[in-house]
Amino acid sequence: MRHVFEEELNQLNKDMITMGSMCENAIQTATTYIRYQTADKNAEIVDIVEQINHKERDIENMCLKLIMQQQPVARDLRTITSALKMVSDLERIGDNADDIAEIVSMNNIPTADVEAIELIDMAKAANEMLSDAINSFVKRDDELAKKVIDTDDAIDNYFNNIKLKLAEDFRDSSHNLDSVLDLFMISKYFERIGDHSVNIARWVLYMITGTLEGNTN
Amino acid sequence: MNSEQFQKKIQAAKKTDKVVTTILYVIGGFFLVLLIVLAAYILIKGAMGFKPSYLSFTSEGIGNQFFNTLYLVVLSLIISVPIGIGAGIYLAEYAGDNKLTAVIRISIESLSSLPSIVVGLFGYLVFILMTGMDWNLFAGALAVSILSLPSITTTTEDALRSLPKSYKQGSMGLGASHWKAITSVLLPACFPRIITGVILAAGRGFGEAAALLYTAGQSTVLNWHNWNLTSPTCPLNPFRSGETLALHIWVLRTEGSLHANSTDIANVAAAVLIILTLVFSLGARQITRNITKKATGE
Amino acid sequence: MSENIKISVKDLDLYYGSFQALKKVNLEVAEHKITALIGPSGCGKSTFLKTQNRMNDLEKGVKIEGQLLLDNKIDIYKDIDAMDLRKRVGMVFQQPNPFPKSIYDNVAYGPRINGIKSKAKLDEIVERSLKQAAIWDELKDRLTKSALGLSGGQQQRLCIARTLAVEPDVLLMDEPTSALDPISTSSIEDLAQELKENYTIVIVTHNMQQAVRISDYTAFFLLGEMVEFGKTEDLFAAPKDPRTERYITGRFG
Repeated sequence: MRHVFEEELNQLNKDMITMGSMCENAIQTATTYIRYQTADKNAEIVDIVEQINHKERDIENMCLKLIMQQQPVARDLRTITSALKMVSDLERIGDNADDIAEIVSMNNIPTADVEAIELIDMAKAANEMLSDAINSFVKRDDELAKKVIDTDDAIDNYFNNIKLKLAEDFRDSSHNLDSVLDLFMISKYFERIGDHSVNIARWVLYMITGTLEGNTN
Repeated sequence: MNSEQFQKKIQAAKKTDKVVTTILYVIGGFFLVLLIVLAAYILIKGAMGFKPSYLSFTSEGIGNQFFNTLYLVVLSLIISVPIGIGAGIYLAEYAGDNKLTAVIRISIESLSSLPSIVVGLFGYLVFILMTGMDWNLFAGALAVSILSLPSITTTTEDALRSLPKSYKQGSMGLGASHWKAITSVLLPACFPRIITGVILAAGRGFGEAAALLYTAGQSTVLNWHNWNLTSPTCPLNPFRSGETLALHIWVLRTEGSLHANSTDIANVAAAVLIILTLVFSLGARQITRNITKKATGE
Repeated sequence: MSENIKISVKDLDLYYGSFQALKKVNLEVAEHKITALIGPSGCGKSTFLKTQNRMNDLEKGVKIEGQLLLDNKIDIYKDIDAMDLRKRVGMVFQQPNPFPKSIYDNVAYGPRINGIKSKAKLDEIVERSLKQAAIWDELKDRLTKSALGLSGGQQQRLCIARTLAVEPDVLLMDEPTSALDPISTSSIEDLAQELKENYTIVIVTHNMQQAVRISDYTAFFLLGEMVEFGKTEDLFAAPKDPRTERYITGRFG
């Protein structure tokens, strides 16, 4: 039996969960900024994103070490390679949250404009997708992972609706163009967060079933 | 255990090691000295009473006996080597793990511990009395073969068994038959060991007296111009009586009246016999080495 | 790509006396591919390997049921003489086992027992086989030297050359690198990869990484049963049977 390896895999699992919740935290913080226009406390999210980046390095190092030392196969191989792929998606999610916070901090967006579109709902949906993706990893739940992949359409819908609304606003010269552009950017970032969550869910699915979606074999 | 005790233990072990090594060296040295002293004694004794005429083919010389000895050994090897090696191959490669094999093994063991005088008398009974022939070299060779067969058989069997299984597997894995594997790989691989067995067997022939007493006979009348193989005086006729060197020595020392100088002649004969054995042994080993070198690559 | 089946094994049972060492094994060895047999010691993988050129005929009390077909038509245990079979299905052993002969005589051994006597022909075979085994350059100037003087890795490649000299279709390798150092191991692995162009290779290995590195197909044996068989990359990335998973991930027992 490979006790040391088992322990290390457990540690990897824990680290993945920690990193996942950091990312959830980042999205929630960014969402709070949007809602309450409190981006002056920007420092908070910078801190979180820094932690996420650290965690990514740690996990990457650990995975490389495990591949080298243990030459994993089967489920172990899938867990470790999936983890390697997932951390880069998680890291991008952190970056996206940071980007959102930065836009908000420029104070171009009136609260009314935020409320006029479904941005907060979209943010919640994106956060839920990430949360489900992380949970599917924690529980090794392939059904939940599939659900995340399917939810991507909902996020895309939000984005399309917001885009249409913002396009209208854009044509309406009375609107603050900065606000429109910023909101468009923000919604695009949330859409990206959804995409990254889908990626994560795909790797979770691969880890569990051993088949990669879109793989013809 | 603390380190001091440990050190003591090591010291004690080293001491034991030294003592045992010394004892073994002493034993080894003892044998060497014994051999040298014996050989030197015989050679010096032989040299002291030496006269060239003792080496002649007359009744005084030991030329005929010398020839008889060689001829007898060759005859006995012609008989015992094929049978002995064949039996060794059978036991090592073909014999099943059954009663028959066990019986064969016990027979070989008993055979190897037979006193040679018993073999001599058996030979007299079977090869001389039952065949109605006179004492002859061939009967002597048969008797010596009985004595040397067990050693050739067991050396061959042991030599074959000591080879790695992988030789046989490798050979048969390439499509060789079992017999082909034996002749082309196994036997060549243990050739030097088998030759050692053969040399020992030959040594038996050189030195044997008791088994030959009533088989090969104690007289030799040769006509070195007579090459009619059926004639009792033809040197190459295996069915003539032929006294060997060892037997000659025994006869000279027990029936000293045969010659005036029988003691000197016996001493010379003993020296010649010892040299003959040595030359044969060294020669055989050298030939083996050459053959092995050729067969196994340098 | 469609693959020809070189050896197909159907419902193979093998008994050592009353002990059943192989249980209803079914397997198809693809031509010009490397098939690896893995499993814990005593699982029957070496025994299975030996059935393919009847080396287990040499052992006593072996009984075989089922069918092994060579080229889809020759029943290995019925239609062909063991000696003929072994010329077509050659074997390389765990311990390098050169004969105590010269390098040349080792390689020429097989052709000679097949009755080839012409020196020119033998020279040609020896050179070709040593070249195929990627050891000609190292040995060409010392062909008359004893094979026992070679290093372990060289000996093993010599043994491969010796097997190639009888021009088999199939090469069975029984843990061919387990006695070798890592560099010799890599050279044998590379060699196996090159040889599969012209030969079908079945290899027993205890080194799972080796199976991953060089084989196209892998069969996992456990307690005389063939538990799982599939493309190597599939079997090692996503084994279907939990016993395979446990074994290859080292969580066995």
